[in-house]
Amino acid sequence: MLVREVTVRNKAGIHTRPASQIVREASRFAADFYIRKDGYEINGKSIIGVMTLAAEQGATLELVFDGKDEAEAAEALAALFEKGFGEPI
Amino acid sequence: MRRPHLPPEPASLPDGPVSPAAADVEAERAGGEVVLDGIGVAPGIAIGPAYVYRPGQFQAEPEALDPGGVEAEVERFERAVARSERELRKIVTVAQEKLGEGSARIFDAQLLVLRDAEFYDAVVEHVRSHQVGAAFAVQAVMEALRRRLDASGNAALRERAGDLLDVQNRVLRNLQQGRAFSKIERDRVVVAENLTAADVLLFARRGVRACVLDFGGPTSHVSIMARALGVPAVVSLHDVADQVQPDDLLVVDGFSGRVVLNPGPETLARYRAKQARFHSLREAREGLAAEPSTTLDGRAVALQANLEFREELPLLDEYGAQGIGLFRTEMLFLTQGKALEEEEQYVVYRDVVRRAAPHGVTFRLIDLGGDKILPMGRREANPFLGWRGVRILLSKPDLLRPQLRAILRAAAHGPARILLPMVSALDEVRAIRQAVRETAEELAREGVPFGADVPVGVMVEVPAVALMAEHFAAEADFFSIGTNDLTQFVLAVDRGNDLVAHRYRELHPAVLQLIRRAVDEAHRAGITASLCGEMAADPRVTPLLVGLGLDALSASPAYLTLVKRALRAMTFEEAHALARHALLQPDADGVARLLRRWLNDHTPDLAAVLGVEAEAQEESEK
Repeated sequence: MLVREVTVRNKAGIHTRPASQIVREASRFAADFYIRKDGYEINGKSIIGVMTLAAEQGATLELVFDGKDEAEAAEALAALFEKGFGEPI
Repeated sequence: MRRPHLPPEPASLPDGPVSPAAADVEAERAGGEVVLDGIGVAPGIAIGPAYVYRPGQFQAEPEALDPGGVEAEVERFERAVARSERELRKIVTVAQEKLGEGSARIFDAQLLVLRDAEFYDAVVEHVRSHQVGAAFAVQAVMEALRRRLDASGNAALRERAGDLLDVQNRVLRNLQQGRAFSKIERDRVVVAENLTAADVLLFARRGVRACVLDFGGPTSHVSIMARALGVPAVVSLHDVADQVQPDDLLVVDGFSGRVVLNPGPETLARYRAKQARFHSLREAREGLAAEPSTTLDGRAVALQANLEFREELPLLDEYGAQGIGLFRTEMLFLTQGKALEEEEQYVVYRDVVRRAAPHGVTFRLIDLGGDKILPMGRREANPFLGWRGVRILLSKPDLLRPQLRAILRAAAHGPARILLPMVSALDEVRAIRQAVRETAEELAREGVPFGADVPVGVMVEVPAVALMAEHFAAEADFFSIGTNDLTQFVLAVDRGNDLVAHRYRELHPAVLQLIRRAVDEAHRAGITASLCGEMAADPRVTPLLVGLGLDALSASPAYLTLVKRALRAMTFEEAHALARHALLQPDADGVARLLRRWLNDHTPDLAAVLGVEAEAQEESEK
């Protein structure tokens, strides 16, 4: 298992568009993927799960990966958060 | 003549769309009847009780399933989800091309919801454990998800609930397909805010007498379908769905666009008589279908059919159409969500060509865009002036090439022609002609049979083409004048816009001048000119069009009988004089008056069926 801490950088936070990017990206990997925030954990491969995450700009999240390609998955997802989902930061 | 009956110019701009119906209600309520004026889009008179159709208010009941029916219900849900997936994939593709990645991702999120375990598995689980219908289960699961979002107290999350609602509505609609119609009885008049072409087909199969709608225009797919199926229809009634109660008696006049709610005995008698006259004219149809379409002095004007479905082909013989003047190919695209493969297109085109032979078929290349644009969250600011017709085809060879191949191959089985939509410049004609040449060479190289020298014609619908007609005539093999768009463009009127629709006048002398120019230049260049707009379907306008020199008129088959009747009652010389006179009129009203007088003098019995007689009387009384 591997845990990465990330910060939501884009202005609009995790709304519908970033949510679909997160799910699409995570689905490329075999590793299980969860997002933790304030003691709440959701399945990061479920669009409904990610959509129910109230994550605004500046929020800190824990990305949890578990599976044989967890390192690559963590790299890819962290990069997505880092570039703010291609949205204004 | 067929415009909605609008009140005089308002002193100031109204807050909302002008509602002619509301004004009429006030005036007519005293007599017990309510008269509503809309646009008659499919001919015929119908009298019957109302069936008020409200698909939007669908609320599933928790219908209990037999234990044996549970798995069938789960499969029905799977099919609805699969259909929703196909729709959303199509929307995502189009959104990516036209709106960019960002907008496409919104729809992509909805696509992901469909197969998300929290939705899909939860619905299946709900159906199995509660043994209830899938529609009810979808509602229950979505309701619970939305409550979760609402409970968060976060404004952004509540917004996301809207995306879930979109998904819910899409799945429910797909679950509902074919079910909503089971309750309707025969001989009803369907009253609705709006219908799809598929709805009309289903209603027609269940024997409804007529359709009356709040929305729609003459070229909406619902109107085209109603005409094709011979179901009288009136559209653009604004608030008929709110005014009519189930089982109210309705009179529907598909010619004038008038709908009478709770008609009194006198009104009923008048419309029954009109219905009888129309039926007797229709009975004379078989005889008339075989008669040549010529004027009394022997000028031939080909009367052709506008079609878009293979199912309509039997109408060709029934109404004596001389081939197909306009075969719309968009439906092949729209019903499948993507362009059909070359082979599938070829099979359809080949059948159409064979059936129409020895007369020809004019295939209009896919004319997407404008009001036929695919559904999606956003639209172009000016879709009618946007990315449509030949403009799309030239930038999308993957759409153009298979269609050209399919048409050229079909042309091996009978005469076929290619018509280019939405042309505004010569380079577009040249580019398509080049593509046609290359396609023919390609087929020849492959040894695939195809028709050589398939004529390529230009649709005259952008005023620039009519104004520069001599240049276009030199490079086109024929002209087909599309008066619907031509009128909208030259008068700068969107006829789908209630506030200005009454200014949409096909009889405006400016429109007639452009038609005359196009026809004259075509003839000077030795090519033919036909007309395929709504005007061609209106027998009241036939003398004018014949007089302008058109070689062919193409309309929905159901109208051809009356048009032929009009044609066979005039001489070309008279019609030509009428057209010259009409071109000198200062406005559309002048042209309309001229036409009414002419029809009453030359074809009084036809004028009576069409209601022109009454209008002329009202006029002389003024």
